[in-house]
Amino acid sequence: MKKISTLLGLVLISLPLFLSCSSRFKLTNDTLYFNLGTEPPSLDPSKATDTTSNLVIENIMDSLTDYDISTADLKIVPKVAKSWRITKGGKVYTFTLRNDILWTDGKKVTAHDFEYSWRRLIDPATAAEYAYFLFDVKNAKAFNEGKIKDFSKVGIKALDDHTFQITLEKPVSYFLHVSTFSSLSPLRKDVIDQWGDRWTEPEHIVTEGPFKLVQWKHDYQLTLERNENYYDAKGKLKKVECFMIVEQSTALSLYQTRKLDIIIQVPPLDIPKLKQTPEFHSGNFLSTYYIGINTKKAPLNNPYVRKALASSINRNQITEMLQKGDLPSSSLIPMGMQGYNPELGYKLNVAQAQEWMKKAGYEKKESNPTWVHSKTKEPFPTLTFMYNTNEAHKTIAEDLQAQWKKNLGVSMVIDNQEWKVYNNSLQSSHKSPETASFHLFRLGWNADYPDPDNFMSLFTSYSDNNHTHWGNSKFDSLTEKAKVILDYSKRVDLYNKAQKILLEEDTAIIPLYVYAHQSMWRDEVKGIQMNPLDRWYFDQIWLERNIK
Amino acid sequence: MLLFILKRLFISIPVIFILATLTFCIMRVTPGGPFDKDKAIPPEIKANIEAKYHLDKPPFINTPAFHEKKWINILTETQYFYYMKGLARGDLGPSYKYLGRSVTDIIRDSLPVSVELGFYAALLAFLLGVPLGILAAYKHNTWIDNAAMFTAISGITLPSFLVAALLIYIFSIKMGWLPAGLWDGGWEYKVLPTIALGLRPVAIIARLMRTSMLDVIKADYVRTARAKGLNEVWVILKHVVKNSLIPVITISGPLIAGIITGSFVIEHVFAIPGIAKHFILAVTNRDYTLIMGVTLVYAVLLIIANILVDVFYALVDPRIKLS
Repeated sequence: MKKISTLLGLVLISLPLFLSCSSRFKLTNDTLYFNLGTEPPSLDPSKATDTTSNLVIENIMDSLTDYDISTADLKIVPKVAKSWRITKGGKVYTFTLRNDILWTDGKKVTAHDFEYSWRRLIDPATAAEYAYFLFDVKNAKAFNEGKIKDFSKVGIKALDDHTFQITLEKPVSYFLHVSTFSSLSPLRKDVIDQWGDRWTEPEHIVTEGPFKLVQWKHDYQLTLERNENYYDAKGKLKKVECFMIVEQSTALSLYQTRKLDIIIQVPPLDIPKLKQTPEFHSGNFLSTYYIGINTKKAPLNNPYVRKALASSINRNQITEMLQKGDLPSSSLIPMGMQGYNPELGYKLNVAQAQEWMKKAGYEKKESNPTWVHSKTKEPFPTLTFMYNTNEAHKTIAEDLQAQWKKNLGVSMVIDNQEWKVYNNSLQSSHKSPETASFHLFRLGWNADYPDPDNFMSLFTSYSDNNHTHWGNSKFDSLTEKAKVILDYSKRVDLYNKAQKILLEEDTAIIPLYVYAHQSMWRDEVKGIQMNPLDRWYFDQIWLERNIK
Repeated sequence: MLLFILKRLFISIPVIFILATLTFCIMRVTPGGPFDKDKAIPPEIKANIEAKYHLDKPPFINTPAFHEKKWINILTETQYFYYMKGLARGDLGPSYKYLGRSVTDIIRDSLPVSVELGFYAALLAFLLGVPLGILAAYKHNTWIDNAAMFTAISGITLPSFLVAALLIYIFSIKMGWLPAGLWDGGWEYKVLPTIALGLRPVAIIARLMRTSMLDVIKADYVRTARAKGLNEVWVILKHVVKNSLIPVITISGPLIAGIITGSFVIEHVFAIPGIAKHFILAVTNRDYTLIMGVTLVYAVLLIIANILVDVFYALVDPRIKLS
């Protein structure tokens, strides 16, 4: 017996020694360990539509231009295009490309690679979701619909190896943003023709960005290595190991045990505790969380009722409860973007809200705390708020339910649906909004590009993203006008007017807050620029580990 | 016996066909499709995408073809026919979520990982569960029995995410001995997930083994064996254990099929790139082809496991004959 316990003791003592020897993670200043959070659904620039895929693509591909994330207004700076000219009143964009950019296989990047990539995005055979990015380009939409077969009629042309020209249908102020999109990075026709859908696998892929993809273990990890052919200042990191750890608390455990250097999602329950540490970083990004109102369904077809609802919300209470550092906001255009105006939109004002209800034709007796219609004597109905199943949305819905009950005396039931079912319900409500099952719903919007048009055009009467069933021709024309104006202050003025209609005069939506994103990294990780687009550029990051 | 196996395999073909049809129906009646998102896609783009994946065709019956009197097209120009045609050739189709990857690719990448982990867990379950059950039954109503059954009950009742979280907290964060997750080839990555995944089957097998052995140990032939003056170890191993194994074998088929197709919780918590997550995520993504793919994999494994169980019966119990 004694022998056995001695043996057991020895095994137990030697276990940690043995374990520490077998570690595969050698911490050096060359390799960064990063958590992507999930498998990128596609590394094909024409097909990727999600943030994870784009995070990787942005590090392995360069577009014509890029944002300088160190500037507050996210200035657009040259990348593959060294310069550009905008002519014919903003209708023609001519990009001049650098001639020293090489693909990872050594060939030169030319304007024809861009022509191919832009063409591929709108080619109906590609079936790219983001084809609409180019719908402002002459005949691009018709080409995508198959109405035009002859590509030479489309306003996308490589004039020679170094000149790439785009002709638009009409001038649009945000078109330069389009040239930054990773969806429009140059592509190699020969590579894609040869390998088909599999061209993004590490053994086939050919790219021209600061890093290259060398390994991709699906659903687990991918490895990026510094592109030694890169034309610009090379990054200091030689390698970035990107893991796809979905469970945030596992990623946090791995971070705490130094298996990860950066995590870009933090378990919400741990935020209050982690917030105290210097390794915790939080920032707001260009996004808005809003409540949509079904403006066709009674009693919310009455704008005064909508105004009353909007004036009975304490946004601070919601963001404080969520504890994520989200920024309360009553403006649709988020903070950090041209046109953001915190003055717009109704704030908490209980007395005013009661007035709106009276104006809407409801009255309340001292003896009876519920609203009754003064003519029909019908009580104010119970509202239905619909949200997609998620803890945070649930917290918000319950809080709104309590706030509206307390501040306005309006009852509401909340109804959750699984994400796809939820989207389906929103879409199908367009057929008959009056009889839809919900009065209110929630949605959020992240900027595709840092221009207010990306937010404002969501609520035009003809937008497919507008589920409020609200339309106002004045709002539509203001938004259309602002789209083509280049003058900064005139644009802001137009957007102020348009937002006033959307948020106050008609109150079709009630913005709640600007999302915050959280990440953690140790002091040894240098060069990270938190930015409102939540971009991660690995060539700007370096490590100063204290290696013994 | 070969004939038996072949016969069983042959019968399973219509089973798989019916299963595939049922899964197909359930998926199509579920609201929301693979390309429905909160961001609206312009209708012309959606049309391009749906055409690419044959989703522009009606699911089962092509009514326009009926009106055009193209009788064959009524059934052939449908999503169901296109899918079944591919399936008959062994083509599970492309994933709708992971663009550029086929369902076969995804299963080929992820199934071996789950099988490996499942193998360790099953090994643990038998190597630990069977002796534990034997010990508990042999020392019936002693502290050993109570301790073993307490462990077993805990193993069954404790949810695996809790066990996993506790293991990570103790062995990774506090002790720093083992990694908190990942699957990097080294054995140290396999210890915690194996324990977390194997604990429940250990408990199930131990309890089953104990109950069954308590029955057998009272049987007449055991008394006879003892009366013959046989060595006690021999009595237990040869007469009691062998005959007590039948219920354990019965349950081990579905149990093993269950473990090797992975556990969503364990693979999720330990960030293991196995197949289990696709059982859940494919549904939330409405990745029709992937849902079908993983369902068929599970069905095939279950069928094979059940055939193996029947074969083992015959080997263990001479009263059972395969026919």
